[in-house]
Amino acid sequence: MQADLEPRVGESPAPVRHRAPVVSNRRVAADTWWLELESPEIARRVAWGQFVMIGFGLEHLAPPFLPRPFSVGWRSPDGRIGLLVRRFGAGSAALAALRPGERALLLGPLGRPFRLEAARRVVCVAGGVGLAPFLILAGEARRQGLAVELLYGELSAERVFDPVLIEQLTDAPPQIWTEDGTLGRHGRVTDGLDASGPVTVLGCGPTAMLRALAGRAAREGFELQVSVEEHMGCGVGTCQGCVVRSADGRWLKACTEGPVFDASDLSWSPG
Amino acid sequence: MVSGLSQSVFGTEFQTPVLLASGTCGYGREYAGLIPLDELGGLVTKAVSVEPRTGNPPHRVAETPGGMINAIGLENVGLDAFIEEKLPWLRENLARAKVLVNVIGRTTDEYAAVVAGLDEEEGFLGYEINVSCPNVRGGTLFGTDEAALGELVARLRRESERPLIVKLTPNVPDIGVYARICEENGADGLSTINTFPGMLIDIRRRRPVIGNVSGGISGPAILPMGVYLTWRAARSCSIPVIGIGGIRSADDALQYILAGATLVQIGTSSFVDPAAAVTVQQGIAAFLESEGVEAVSELVGGLRTSDSAEGSAPAQG
Repeated sequence: MQADLEPRVGESPAPVRHRAPVVSNRRVAADTWWLELESPEIARRVAWGQFVMIGFGLEHLAPPFLPRPFSVGWRSPDGRIGLLVRRFGAGSAALAALRPGERALLLGPLGRPFRLEAARRVVCVAGGVGLAPFLILAGEARRQGLAVELLYGELSAERVFDPVLIEQLTDAPPQIWTEDGTLGRHGRVTDGLDASGPVTVLGCGPTAMLRALAGRAAREGFELQVSVEEHMGCGVGTCQGCVVRSADGRWLKACTEGPVFDASDLSWSPG
Repeated sequence: MVSGLSQSVFGTEFQTPVLLASGTCGYGREYAGLIPLDELGGLVTKAVSVEPRTGNPPHRVAETPGGMINAIGLENVGLDAFIEEKLPWLRENLARAKVLVNVIGRTTDEYAAVVAGLDEEEGFLGYEINVSCPNVRGGTLFGTDEAALGELVARLRRESERPLIVKLTPNVPDIGVYARICEENGADGLSTINTFPGMLIDIRRRRPVIGNVSGGISGPAILPMGVYLTWRAARSCSIPVIGIGGIRSADDALQYILAGATLVQIGTSSFVDPAAAVTVQQGIAAFLESEGVEAVSELVGGLRTSDSAEGSAPAQG
């Protein structure tokens, strides 16, 4: 187990802000890039499930003007971190276009990580670029002796992150699901979840997928932690922009109270 | 910090003219260890209301061209929790940076209750009154209703002898009228400006992007409007003005100062780069040195215009 998996809020060390050079940025699937940056301090401190804010700074008025949150998907002993970038709009397109040697402004590591208990089987359920936090988690946790399964779903084969690279990063092949059946198993990734026995299920992906998982967790009674996404302004709790509804009707900040929550602490009613 | 950056105003000395704007720095603690808060001129807290407020549904923020839209809904912990949980940290950790508490209410009595409830506490200099709230009785915003604004400022003046600064909305025909109302009713200063109303539409879903439908626009896109309205406000009254709106560099801040601002606030830019305020004040110091100006106070209102330039109506064409 990683010694520092406790939530990093309150008295935790402050995040680091720095201009990080791009080491490499390669297209790994349709509309999807694997972006590596030189960021030794974030690489050293990041815990599984934490994220960074990435942008270009104040000289850059075009999107992304506001920095964007990305889960840290990987770190290397020599101080690189990897982010999984999918092009949705102008902001992510600019990140996808980054070239080696160019710099991005990073702030991190941020947020509460996943919390694992050593004795339990861990099943990660990833939808789309929700794969990112499970690359670092599955890889590092397996090397520490935890039993980790990785289920990864996409709409179709063209969007699937290179399975060979996933295996390199995580030491084992993922179980791949596509909704159109063009690669791996045919169906929704949540269909592949066997949550029997003592298990901790971790979910990251579209809200509909997380809602389906939360419904099963409530019915079947297994432990489920989810990493959520919401429009974010600052990443450190000042703007109060990135809220999600709690089970008891309050607004929780995804940046500092999450992004990882116990699914039972959140409201899963649509809308 | 360079001595030329200090500004004597509101009965005290700000070590620099650069503050963090309300709603962009939480209650200060969120930036602890990330930026040297105590080296700044100061900060303005997240708004405080009598009772806690839960705020609006998501999305609450989104990027707009050269800025952002937000509709947080004035979510805050409320007066009691502010005093118990937030103010002690500010008191214990900020020795030199000045703290202004941003105050909101739905009625004059609610504003007055916050001011009265805080006034005996230690750890802050004064109040920034946010008048961009709907006035429950009249249905308009305090900041766009001349009578309601005058009553509010007069009432708060009776509640406190601390610096009372009114944060004005830009959404009025002539901000100078509102500046004078604040001055006549006892305000010590003005903050100009709050956000402009706006909206964004997701054309595929045919829905507003922001959960509250509309929100406030901030960031570099509003810089020239902020500079203009700060200039209009400063020349319409004789109380100090704090310039706000889209500042992301020392050059931007100096525009506000030349327009008449004694202090400035950094808002949206802190989201883009938490070090923005530090960079801005360092840049102002560098400008003073390169221009051979001894003190930033010499630049306040130093705009040179011809005598006929009134700027009373926007230039056409």
